[in-house]
Amino acid sequence: MTSLAATPTRARRGLGARAWAFAKRHALTVYALLVVGYLMLPIAVVILFSFNKPAGRFNYVWEEFTFDNWIHWNSVLGIQDAVVTSLEVGLVSTVVATALGTFIALAIVRHRFVGRGATNVLVFLPMSTPEIVLGASLLTLFLNTTTVFQLGFITIFIAHVMFIVSFVVVTVKARLIDFDRHLEEAAMDLGANEVTTFRKVTLPLLAPAILAAALLGFALSIDDFVITYFNAGATQTFPIFVWGIARVSVPPQVNVVASGIFLIAIAIALGNVYWQYRSAKRTTGAG
Amino acid sequence: MGSFFHRHKGTTPYLLLAPGVLWLAVFFLIPLVFLGYESLQSGLFPDFRFTWEFSNFSNGISDYHEQFVRSFVYAGIATVACLLLAYPLVYWIAFRAGPWRNLFLLFIVAPFFVTYLVRTLAWLNILADQGPVVGILRDLHILGPDGRLLATTFAVVSGITYNFFPFMALPVYVSLEQIDPRLLEAAKDLYASPGQAFLRVTLPLSAPGIVAGTLLTFIPAAGDFINAALLGTPNQAMIGNVIQAKFLESLDYPSAAALSFILMGLILVALLVYAKIVGSERLTG
Amino acid sequence: MTMRMTRRALVQRGAAGVTVLSLPGILAACGGGGGGGGGGGEVKDVLNFSNWELYIDIPSTRKAAGLTGPTTLQQFTQKTGIKVNYYEDINGNPEFFAKVQGRLRQGQGIDRDIIVVTDNDRFLSDYIENGWAEKLDKSLIPNIDNLIATQASPPFDPKREYTLPWFSGMDGIAWNSDVTGPVTTVTQLLEDPSLKGRVGVWNQMGDTIGLVMLENGDDPAKVTDASFDRAIARIEKAVKAGQIRRFYGNDYAQPLQRGDLAASMAWSGDILNLGDPKLKWVIAKAGGIIWTDNMLIPTGGSVPTASTYMNFVYDPNIAAQLALGANYISSVKGVPQEAAKLDPKAADNTLVFPTDDMLAQMHQNDPTMFTNPDYNKRWLAVQGK
Repeated sequence: MTSLAATPTRARRGLGARAWAFAKRHALTVYALLVVGYLMLPIAVVILFSFNKPAGRFNYVWEEFTFDNWIHWNSVLGIQDAVVTSLEVGLVSTVVATALGTFIALAIVRHRFVGRGATNVLVFLPMSTPEIVLGASLLTLFLNTTTVFQLGFITIFIAHVMFIVSFVVVTVKARLIDFDRHLEEAAMDLGANEVTTFRKVTLPLLAPAILAAALLGFALSIDDFVITYFNAGATQTFPIFVWGIARVSVPPQVNVVASGIFLIAIAIALGNVYWQYRSAKRTTGAG
Repeated sequence: MGSFFHRHKGTTPYLLLAPGVLWLAVFFLIPLVFLGYESLQSGLFPDFRFTWEFSNFSNGISDYHEQFVRSFVYAGIATVACLLLAYPLVYWIAFRAGPWRNLFLLFIVAPFFVTYLVRTLAWLNILADQGPVVGILRDLHILGPDGRLLATTFAVVSGITYNFFPFMALPVYVSLEQIDPRLLEAAKDLYASPGQAFLRVTLPLSAPGIVAGTLLTFIPAAGDFINAALLGTPNQAMIGNVIQAKFLESLDYPSAAALSFILMGLILVALLVYAKIVGSERLTG
Repeated sequence: MTMRMTRRALVQRGAAGVTVLSLPGILAACGGGGGGGGGGGEVKDVLNFSNWELYIDIPSTRKAAGLTGPTTLQQFTQKTGIKVNYYEDINGNPEFFAKVQGRLRQGQGIDRDIIVVTDNDRFLSDYIENGWAEKLDKSLIPNIDNLIATQASPPFDPKREYTLPWFSGMDGIAWNSDVTGPVTTVTQLLEDPSLKGRVGVWNQMGDTIGLVMLENGDDPAKVTDASFDRAIARIEKAVKAGQIRRFYGNDYAQPLQRGDLAASMAWSGDILNLGDPKLKWVIAKAGGIIWTDNMLIPTGGSVPTASTYMNFVYDPNIAAQLALGANYISSVKGVPQEAAKLDPKAADNTLVFPTDDMLAQMHQNDPTMFTNPDYNKRWLAVQGK
């Protein structure tokens, strides 16, 4: 009788225990998925409403699906100029900032010199200053030197390079610290001079980090609002344009541009992931 | 020694540094000097005069201490929220995600690719008083019949948390990812339970990431004004809103400059205290 | 000759987006510095016009008003051959001022021939008093005679040498009838507990304080410390009680339509423009504030070209089209009659063509209020800023 009574109890406990073990094992996964859902929710809404055809001025109620906004994405006055300005500023400031930052990183990691500590601090400071202070102080400089700097594209470019450099330094530095010098020393032993070694060994090996820093810089530039807001004068980048037009109503074309930037960025990131996966496969052999 | 440029040992670093450091000196340090100069001016736009007006600072603190405190409190809560939300997620990505790792890292960073303002405006849509989310919460009696999510402290802090999430998640991920799994195996071999292994191996080893993430989240959050402007009422105004209004609405540059310095000063103090607690090598890495 | 050509070069290069950094170039183009040096020269073939959003007729609003044919901007180009670069980049008087004052202070142009500035704030006077406005060429504006008498001599420009009205608008109260019953007094707005947290007011001192003063029985055209104190105290109380959701600029319309706001201080034209039957607008029981946006030629703008445009929009027929297409109040004589000819139905709209009764309830702000630093500080403080 005890055995008969015991079996159902054990089976029940087994099921309960199994369910609990299942839950515990997958709780973290469920949690992760929920958080990702939370992160992507606004983006889904933005992309969804870029396909909406609003009945009135405001785009918050779903009316009907349309591709019009995507086809006529630049029909809103000023949006095309703003996007072009954002891209131009992003490109130019990223290139300059990446170059400047890489040089700084090389100097800091590979040389001992007077002022190394101070340089470290100087580079770290902009990252630890709130954007509003960065933007406002730069505005103060420009307002006091209006004969040299007029608020506009140039000042936006200057501001962006200024705050991107620190991020580039940190990114490249991290890679440089782990850098295997033996390859360079081998190249030198084989007769290459410093410049050739740098060009043919150091730079290619550093390229992924520099690229990552450049991508980060570009992303920061495209998305920047606060610093740009203070220093743009009458010029409009895309975030500034959105701020302005949000005062009245946000047309679906804003969603289109935001989604477009998002999708291109995702494509690049996925491409990067795929490229890394392929090159990893190549170096470690198939499988 | 391993130094490359043995012939030009002395000048190379300076040559490399010069352009970048010059840029930062001219466009970061000098503006701060200008800001300092302006903070000691007085007068009304456009006629400001330098008068060693230290009262800008004392007035700044006495008039706006509420906003200062609020900014630090909101930033602090948001930072903690980011940490609590992000840690399990990145833990899962580092240890359980396997081949899906990069995809989920992409999910963390993805929101960043949609313009800051557009994402915040999207939350305005999602959490609208007459929208589905608030409707469900009211039905579930989590919110009162007139309850709302927008225009509250909750909305502002949530906005800050959402917008700065990757700044916490990524550094923590990096430090978790670097943990040698053999250490965890060793812990298991020594009869540690999963909880103990976590508390005594994983967590401490992820500390550098937590420190970095905390800094990268707290500092910009303290100076933020967009979330408070869009998602809050005047009772949620942060010091960033004050500074922005003084620069761009009332054109009261001296006062604005003084407030900016006070904000920087307070952040620096917070940084030093934090550095003391966690040990300063972790900071500048 | 040289001055005209370098000025043209400056405007063209500026329009091409190239920042002019050469010192000699700038100094040569500026000539006499701020305020002076303008005028001279011929009418250009491009007009750069900065305006507020939704403040001009566009095809969709023309259709809604029963108008046919090209927009007034297109008609202008057809008539004069001058192309118009129309920028809707003015979102607030202080913000725009902050953007352009750096260059204006140096006597440089801002690549605009016309900007539109509101009169119930300090900035319109600032532009003129600082010498940042060019004088109109009245010989090119014969239609200036069509300016209505009440607008002939405003305090900031008594001889109408620098400005001409674009549109006027009325401050009132709007509510969303889906979420609340009628809200017709400022007291209701600030104190009715059923509206708590769903009330909007403006972030502009003249408009908000003006309406509250009227509710207090004070005269907004003659502000005293005591009347200001009374008004600010009421607003402060409402903020602390959580009654006011936000201090809005132009952006109260969407939350109002959504129901995030139950009621808000609102401009007449905005509600009209939305055309949503559930949104109602009234002049507050205690009275409203009327303001006027003015066209102004900033330093470096082309006076002949701008004056030509101003003359064009002061033709009663064009002015009527503008009023119908933008839903704001015109300052041009004969507009109601012209509008009736164009569209009899739309001309009945009292928000665009207010009756004398309505105008009698309107008041204007006291300009001295805007330059009082103490008032400004307290106004920002009540907004938490």
